[in-house]
Formats: sequence, structure tokens, C-alpha cells
Amino acid sequence: MRMAPASSEPVPAAERPAGPQGLPTAPVMAAAVLAMAYVGAVRAEVSSAAIEAPPKVRAEAGIRFEEIGESAGVRLIHTTRSFGDRHKAEVLEMFTDGGAAVAVGDYNNDGWDDLFVVDSELGKPNHLMRNNGLGPDGKLSFTNVAVRAGVTGGNDDESIVADGLWFDFDNDGWLDLLVGRFGTPILYRNNGPSQDGEHTFTDVSAATGLTEFGNTIAAIAFDHDNDGWLDLLLGNYFQPLNLLDLDTPHVLPNNLDYADNGGGVTFWHNLPGKAGGRRFVEITERVGMKHHTGWSLDLGHADLDNDGLQDVYIAGDYGTDRLFMNQGPGADGNYTFEDVTEDAMGWDTRKGMNVDMGDYNRDGFLDVYVTNITDEYMKECNFLWHNNGDGTLIDLSRETGTCDTDWGWAAKFGDFDNDGWEDIYAVNGLRSREKQNYIPILLEVIITPGIDFSDVNSYPDIGDMTWSGYQKQRFFHNLADGTFKETGAEVGLDNDLDGRGLGMADFDNDGLLDLYQTNASQPALLHHNRSVGAGNWVQLKLTGTESNRDAIGARVTLGAGGETYLREVNGGNAYASQSTFRLHFGVGEAKQIDAVEIRWPSGKVEKLAASEGKPALPINALSKIREGEGVVR
Amino acid sequence: MRQLIAMTVGAMGLLVASAPAIANNFYAEGMAKAKAEDWPAALDLLEQAVTADPNNLRVGTDYRQAVIAAGEYDRCLEFLGKVVADHPEAPNALLNLGFAHVDKIPVEGAITQVILANTALEKFSAALELEETWLLRYTRGNSYLYWPAIFGRTQFGIDDLQRAIDMAKELDSMPYHGRAWAALGDGYWRLEDPAKALATYKEGLALYPDNAELKQRAELDETELTTFLEALFDTNVRVATHLAEIWEAHHANGAR
Repeated sequence: MRMAPASSEPVPAAERPAGPQGLPTAPVMAAAVLAMAYVGAVRAEVSSAAIEAPPKVRAEAGIRFEEIGESAGVRLIHTTRSFGDRHKAEVLEMFTDGGAAVAVGDYNNDGWDDLFVVDSELGKPNHLMRNNGLGPDGKLSFTNVAVRAGVTGGNDDESIVADGLWFDFDNDGWLDLLVGRFGTPILYRNNGPSQDGEHTFTDVSAATGLTEFGNTIAAIAFDHDNDGWLDLLLGNYFQPLNLLDLDTPHVLPNNLDYADNGGGVTFWHNLPGKAGGRRFVEITERVGMKHHTGWSLDLGHADLDNDGLQDVYIAGDYGTDRLFMNQGPGADGNYTFEDVTEDAMGWDTRKGMNVDMGDYNRDGFLDVYVTNITDEYMKECNFLWHNNGDGTLIDLSRETGTCDTDWGWAAKFGDFDNDGWEDIYAVNGLRSREKQNYIPILLEVIITPGIDFSDVNSYPDIGDMTWSGYQKQRFFHNLADGTFKETGAEVGLDNDLDGRGLGMADFDNDGLLDLYQTNASQPALLHHNRSVGAGNWVQLKLTGTESNRDAIGARVTLGAGGETYLREVNGGNAYASQSTFRLHFGVGEAKQIDAVEIRWPSGKVEKLAASEGKPALPINALSKIREGEGVVR
Repeated sequence: MRQLIAMTVGAMGLLVASAPAIANNFYAEGMAKAKAEDWPAALDLLEQAVTADPNNLRVGTDYRQAVIAAGEYDRCLEFLGKVVADHPEAPNALLNLGFAHVDKIPVEGAITQVILANTALEKFSAALELEETWLLRYTRGNSYLYWPAIFGRTQFGIDDLQRAIDMAKELDSMPYHGRAWAALGDGYWRLEDPAKALATYKEGLALYPDNAELKQRAELDETELTTFLEALFDTNVRVATHLAEIWEAHHANGAR
């Protein structure tokens, strides 16, 4: 039995913390009364649900997660592509094991965020996990509908699936699905519901022009020119050569600190196609990104200088990250980006893995979190790029306490206790196997004079050895003073699997952000947020009309309790990850949302303000806002 | 044992006054240019001084300090590499070449740091094959400690440092000899034996009560020691290779 979505159904009472004798505690009652009064007053124009806030149980207050992957049916085991008995197969497997990706998106618009989870092994299917919502027992469950939907494919003799991305490329109101591969990408168009209510997808890669081979490990969608259509930026790890049919052993990084023989990026402009369809045209050179030939591992976008244009950060393995600022239209009307890396943050040599954006210190500028490698043998430290607001970024990872996540992969900003401050969860670990450590063996290669790092033959086989394995994931709780405290063990997020991707969403619509963690060649985990004493919150689902339908790039500034909060809708930030399109704001003790300003990618600005005792938006509820129409059902 | 003492002093190459006059002239002019922060001129002159007196430790050391200020690491590596090739019998040239690799480490990426650190060790070892001195033993032993224990080099460092301590017993006592005790304790910490590390510092402090390195460490508890040494062995932090303590000690002892 599927439950109704959050926008019309409160959280079942069984799920709510209860007061004495099972009665809601006083704060819950107060919140409910407030919310009900508000809903009653504006029912005609607001469809937001009145979902009570968790009570403040200070004695047990704190962030807590419970792993429910098995019971929810999403403990999926990713498998890395095996290169069989090919020469140096293990080396190639090592270099391609990063693609245990997850993409969160509500593909059927039922109000429950779904999961697309990839596999990478030959012939193995990807998974489309439809969120069934809460069952009669109050438990969350998912059903794999990938076969019915037609999105299992991609792992063939010439391709390895490495990423997934939901985005509505044709603005028809249904999320489409891009499958990134070491190979050619696959773009599935969402056909909408069939007669049986299930959605099907059609491969439109060729029809939309997405046929170029690339070793894609990262994909993001955003509207670079604010024309209302989502463009694609693909991050490519290797150069565009077929790893499954190599005619040269010189395919690996030519330098482990300054490699410039990677796949760079390709930028795809979404343009009108035949018969009212859409097509993608590569404009990498035109936008000014062709010169980046590094080993792109992740991409992130956001408006970093508050000019209404989306900027791009590229995390590069074996060499420098890059920051591209959107310059807007030139004389020819085409939008370009300027590589401002040197002036904005300087060149680095670290092993950039992840890009996520968030305003961790609430200064009105989005900051950037990048994971690198920090381990016993290599202490790079992550980047927490504090946005100075003057076109420069300064790394404050040491000062904020977010430097060390071992061998980092995905990391996400999120306010997990709704206290109004964005925390960070970061997954890590490369390869957990037997006791013998690969590093001393690899060292002998690294210090060999004149070694050719690009040659797969230069690397010793790894066998069953461990390399930066069994590392504890890190949870950084934002202490609201510009620093974070690592509390992974305390909150139940310190598993030691070989993490890769993170899908963050409120999967059970209880007002708390949950996390889906994918792991390389290991089972995925669903961390259900069961924090006690969390603050109040509000969620926004934006729909563009002039702007792209997903409202990617829309910026919301929200005022509550005298504080101001900033979020942007993003299209796939964080490594091997895509998180919910909803914007989630924790607002702490604030009882009312006072003001909301939405700056749409079209440039249109909408404001909602509290007036005559009526809040701008209901608290502890999801509100749907449509461009130009305000709050809608 | 007197031979060892003689070797040590000789290896220091401290005696600029006894170096060829031409080296002295270049050195003095180069240092004046360095003081004026005229780095191109300073480097040119100091390179001429090193060329004229390749085994002079102080000339080479001050040249490297000018290189650090100028950021001309690659030029330095190329130049000292040529000096060593031209003077394979000069241990201090090798020592300086090793230090030049160490000097470049903080400005490099993590993997290049490893390569530089390893090359430095090779140069220190080559110098030790030419001549065994307290400074070379200490330098190589201390360098091994920068390698995480996983690489299995810590014991090599401890062996070198123990040898340096033994050598110091046969030498005129110098305050900087206490550094070997400090580094030896650091080695035990690296082997995850902080109690032995603290005991070693205290033992060294009894012999060198004025040694700042030992005093600082001996006052720490095990947790504090870990914090202190993790920061100390951060490869992104520059290692002081100016040898100022040595010059000061020998100056105080009237070595000039």
C-alpha cells in the first residue's frame, strides 16, 4: 500500500515522539495549533502540510541516525567492473572503482523522493527504487522498478556505468535520467505514467545528440545562460579512449600532482531539436573550458558571486581544481566562463574528489567543500573554501575542523538537526580488503627514478591488499561559531565501508534529512534521521515556468526568527551523488517564517512576506511554489 | 676517537675564513645582496662562492636560504646537482643537495613531496658513505622520522640517531647535540611508544639541560606530545635547514 505524499498527509502518530501517556508534548500541540490555524485561514492558496515538529526532549536531544537499508529494500550491492584476465586488470579496476553513484529524484511526482542507484559490472543492472512511502507499519520501503521503467542498461562490453543524474531536459514536468558512463552517455526521457501508473523511459541519447564517447565520472545539469533549458556539464576522468579495449598502456595520470592528460570536461548546450524536441550541442571551447585537461572527478555549480549566473567548480584528481566564473553574454550573445583559479584560490596539487556548495556560516555567500586525501601517508587536508564575497575563496578547513576525512569521496552540506546551521557528512575509504597494505608497495614505484606514471605496467598488482580501507565516515556538526565538531560515532554515521556517493533527502517526509550512502563493491546504506529535539523546518519544492522546470539555479533567501538563510537548487552537486531538488531549511526555535525571496534563473524575483499574523510560509511543512504563481497545490 | 672529532669539525665546513679567498669575496658580496633582497644578484654571487668552495657547509647553507627566499628551488637543485657531479668527493655538497630537496618539499604536492624526501635521503646516505659525522647521522636519522611508520623506515632513523648520540659522547659537547635525543624520542613516538619517547627526552635533558627541543617535549603529556609531533611532522610546514644553532655554538666556542 502506498501512502499519500507529504503535501497532503501528516507524519503518522506512531512516528512522532510522544509525551507522557502518549500525548503530544506541549510544543507539538502549540505547533499543531499554529499550523492548523494557518492552514485553515489560507486553505484556498496553500497546499502545505502541517507536519508537527519533533518535540524538544532536551534530555535526549541530539542527532541520531538509524541504518534501515535492509528493511527499506535498498541495501543494494554495487559491483566494480572486472577487467577479467586483461593485462594489469587490477590496476584498471582500481582506477575505475569510483562509480558507485546514487541520484535522488521524484521521477513520478508523487511527493516521495526516489533513488536511482547504479552498478558498474558487465551486464549488471542499475536500480530504479521507487519510494513507496510509509507502510501501515509506519516503515519506509522502496520497490525496484528499473526493469519496468527500462533503465537497467548501460554496462556493456564497451561501457561502464559511473553516474546518474535526474533532470527535466525537455521541461515536460517529468524528470528524465542521464546515465554517465565510461563510454557514451545514455539519456532516458521519462514518458510519464503508463496505463498501469508505472513510468517508462525511452533512450533518446542519439536523438538528442549525446553520442560522444567520454570517460564520464561526474555530471551536473544547470542553465548556464538562463534561457529556461537545462544544459549539461560532464566531468571526464580519463581521456576519451576505450578502457575496455586499450591499444596503449599509457592511459593513467602522467603526474600524480600535476596531471594534465585527463578527460577534462565537455559542456553541452540544450537547444531546440527536430519536431519540437531538444538536442545537445557541445560548446566546451566556446564557453571557455576546453583548456582544462585534468582528471575531473566532480563538478559543482552555484552562484558564487551573487550575480544571478551559475558558476562552476571542478574538483581535479592528481592536480589542480578549477573555478570558472560565469561572465554572462558576450557581444555575440553567447555566455562564457572565465577561469579565475589563480586569482580566486590559487593552484593546488591535491586529489580533489567532491564539490558541494552551502552557506555554512550564513554570511549570504555560498561556500565550497572539497574532499581530498588525508591519510597516514599523505596529509593533503580537505578544502572548505570560505567565500570572501570579493571574488576570492580562502581555505578554512583546518580552522573549521573539517580538514580530515581520510580518503574522501562524497560530502554533503545539510542541516540534519534543523538548528539553522548546515552540517557536513563525508564518506571515505578506498579499498578495504586483507590486512596487507598496498601503500609500501606502491611507494617503491613512486620513488623509482624516471617512472612513467601513465603506464599501467608501472603499477604493482594489488591483489587482496587494502589501500586506505576501513576508514570511519565523518559527520561534522556545525557548532554555529564558524567551526564544526566531528561526531560520526555519536550520531551513528561512523561506518567503515568504502563510501562513494551520498543521496540526501527527506525520504520519509518527516522533516529531517536522511542519507543514502553508496559504497564501492559493498552494500549501500540508508541512514534514517531519527534526531531528537531537532528544530523547526520548512521545505520548498520550486517549479520553474519561464525558468527551467526543475528550478535548478533558483536561489531562496528565507527569514525566520530574525535570522536569514540561503539555499540554491542544484543539479547534481557532490561526488557520485545527486540529492533532493527540495530546499530544506532548518530554522531552529523560530516559530514562523517571516519572509521568503525567490530569485528564479529567469531573473524574476518573487517575495512572500508575513503579514497580519499570517506567516510567509507554514512552518514544519513542505510548500510548493511555482514561478510567477507563488505557493500552489 | 680524535679522528672522529676532527672529521666532524671538518665536515661542518664552518670555517669560511679558511676557505679560498675568492669564495670569501663572492660569499660576502652575495650575502650583502641577499640582505638587500636583490635575489638574482645574491644567487649569482653565492653560486660562485659555492663553486669556489663546494664543500663549505656554511656557504652552501646560506645559498640555500637565499634560494628559499627567492623561491628558486629548481635552479638550486640543478646547480647543486652539478656541484655534486663535479665534486663527488665533497660530503657537504651532498648534504646541501639533500637539504635543497628538503627545502622544496613544502611548496610541492603530496606525491612530489615523497619523491623529494626520498631523494634527500639518498643524498644524505651518499654523504655518509664519504664521511661519517654527527651532523650527517643526525640529519639522516631525523629525515627518516618524517616517513609514516607504515613505510618501515622509522627504525633506520632510530639506529642513526642512536649512533649520533654515541658519537656525541666522543665529541666536545655542544648544545645542539641534544637534538639527537629529541629526535630519538620522536622516533619512539613514531613507533607508537610515547612513554619511551618521554623517557628519552628526560634522559637527554639530563645531559643537555639547556636544550630547548628537549625541554619543550619533556613537559608534554602523551596526548599533547602527539599533537605537537603531528604538527612538527606536517610535510607542508618548512623544516629549518639553516643550521643556525651550529654556527652559534661554534662561534660561542671560539671555533672561528
